[in-house]
Amino acid sequence: MHERFPGLARRLPWAVLILLTLFPLVAPALGLEYYVGFVRRALIVAIAATSLNFILGYGGMAALGHAGFVGVGAYTVVALVEAGFSSAWLAWASAALVAGLAAAAIGAVSLRTRGVYFIMITLAFAQMLYYLAVSLRTWGGDDGYGIYTPLVMGTWLDAAHAQIFYWVVLAIAAGVFALFSRVAHSRYGHALRGIRDNETRMVALGYPVFWLKLAGFVAAGAVAGLAGGLLASHNAFVSPGMMHWTQSALLLVMVMLGGAGRRWGAPLGVALWLTLEEVLKLYTDYWHWPLGLLLLLVVFHAPQGLAALLERRGART
Amino acid sequence: MSLFHAQGLVKRFGGLLATDHVELAVEAGEIHALIGPNGAGKSTLVNLISGLLPADAGRVVLDGVDLSTLSPHQRVRHGLARCFQITSVFRNDSVRDNLLLAVQAQAGSSFRFLRRRELERSLAVRAEALAVRTGLAEVLDRNAGTLPHGLQKRLDVALALAARPRLLLLDEPMAGMGPEDSQQMVAMIHGLRSDTAILLIEHDMDAVFQLADRISVLVYGRVLTTGDAAHVKGHPEVQSVYLGTEVPACG
Repeated sequence: MHERFPGLARRLPWAVLILLTLFPLVAPALGLEYYVGFVRRALIVAIAATSLNFILGYGGMAALGHAGFVGVGAYTVVALVEAGFSSAWLAWASAALVAGLAAAAIGAVSLRTRGVYFIMITLAFAQMLYYLAVSLRTWGGDDGYGIYTPLVMGTWLDAAHAQIFYWVVLAIAAGVFALFSRVAHSRYGHALRGIRDNETRMVALGYPVFWLKLAGFVAAGAVAGLAGGLLASHNAFVSPGMMHWTQSALLLVMVMLGGAGRRWGAPLGVALWLTLEEVLKLYTDYWHWPLGLLLLLVVFHAPQGLAALLERRGART
Repeated sequence: MSLFHAQGLVKRFGGLLATDHVELAVEAGEIHALIGPNGAGKSTLVNLISGLLPADAGRVVLDGVDLSTLSPHQRVRHGLARCFQITSVFRNDSVRDNLLLAVQAQAGSSFRFLRRRELERSLAVRAEALAVRTGLAEVLDRNAGTLPHGLQKRLDVALALAARPRLLLLDEPMAGMGPEDSQQMVAMIHGLRSDTAILLIEHDMDAVFQLADRISVLVYGRVLTTGDAAHVKGHPEVQSVYLGTEVPACG
């Protein structure tokens, strides 16, 4: 793809972005109105997955508690709504900030461990957050919390178009994706990949490995929190279930399916997984097993993920 | 006063006293070899000095600065760099990217998030200069993992040199090398002595006697004796525990 069709590789993302931008305008004509909400949710999940891909794929940190930060973001929005605030921008910014702080505290402890221990300790922290949410009666506890007065983005924005929230989500998703892609090529991005590949050598080169990892972990946590804030707005409902460990595992699966450490890994994985889920649900109640089968196929035939497979195919044709 | 001083270093692994009150001094401009039979605790000592292992007791002083409480990466900033017995490079990256990463660690902060690193000309210049100095200029664009063993070892040394160390710890740089590669490595190490003092851990006795100004012999975690080549060769205990009873694996 990169040698033979350099133009295609560069233009395809822009084409996708334009299609996504136009989608809410043409969807009603095609009878696909329902799917505007579906794409919006997929975009939000892609934001969370992109942040996970950053620490997992580029930083080598196999965090199994990422949904915990999504949940912290969502519950931050709940807290602000409960306190009477109604600005969406304030809510989302706070979601990112609070989740970033949570990631700093959790990362400061977790990043002292490696490998399986890191997986287990991030899982443990996320489960603590889950049970904390279950026990918080004022925010709905087990039953969750409905947001009945929608957050406002500003009068001129809210009134502009019925689908304005979709475009806001799309803009944030594109911005987050562009930002992480850019950071990957910076000094910091190179250092992070060095840590993934050979941590001991990075220490011996004089890198403050712990602080570099913590910075990435906090950034990823904050962005996951932002996704959580957007998800709270999207669903107008928040429940502890969104930070259950299976949600963290699902994010990991989507990133690995798409290709951990690949630029397009996270959005590809999310798009494929959610689309298949949506389609399979139309035909069967047992939609889990074909997805499991797909996962097996990918593990055996494209262990580097879909993005890697496409890159190789592209290079060969 | 010596450039480098290890004072009363102790390391225990359970009941095993791996490092037993080691005293070691390296002078400025010196190549100081550390020899000893397998299991004498040479690699443990290197790990204690570089800080990858925490010492149970003792101090490590470089240029009058006590490094004992500093983390390994801070010790590098103070001029203490090391290589690895088992070659430790970034195998999936090109030699150029390996060197860039090493140079970047010493050229300002790595907490820079937006500017593309490839635009930083000064890093590229320093990486290329390092390649020329270590004889890697011909293989800059090859993947480090595909290089022959001798060149990978060279790259390992080059990565440590990027830190511009005042004391360089070389942990068996000739390990697994044929005679030809060994001689090239000897020449390279010889060329470094004007830039940095070197603590050389090595099994290859020919190389040690060619390079070292002084030699310390480590046995059961203790420094048996320190002196020049003639002193060590003539030392009766050294002959019995090391040179006499065990044939060193000369490469």
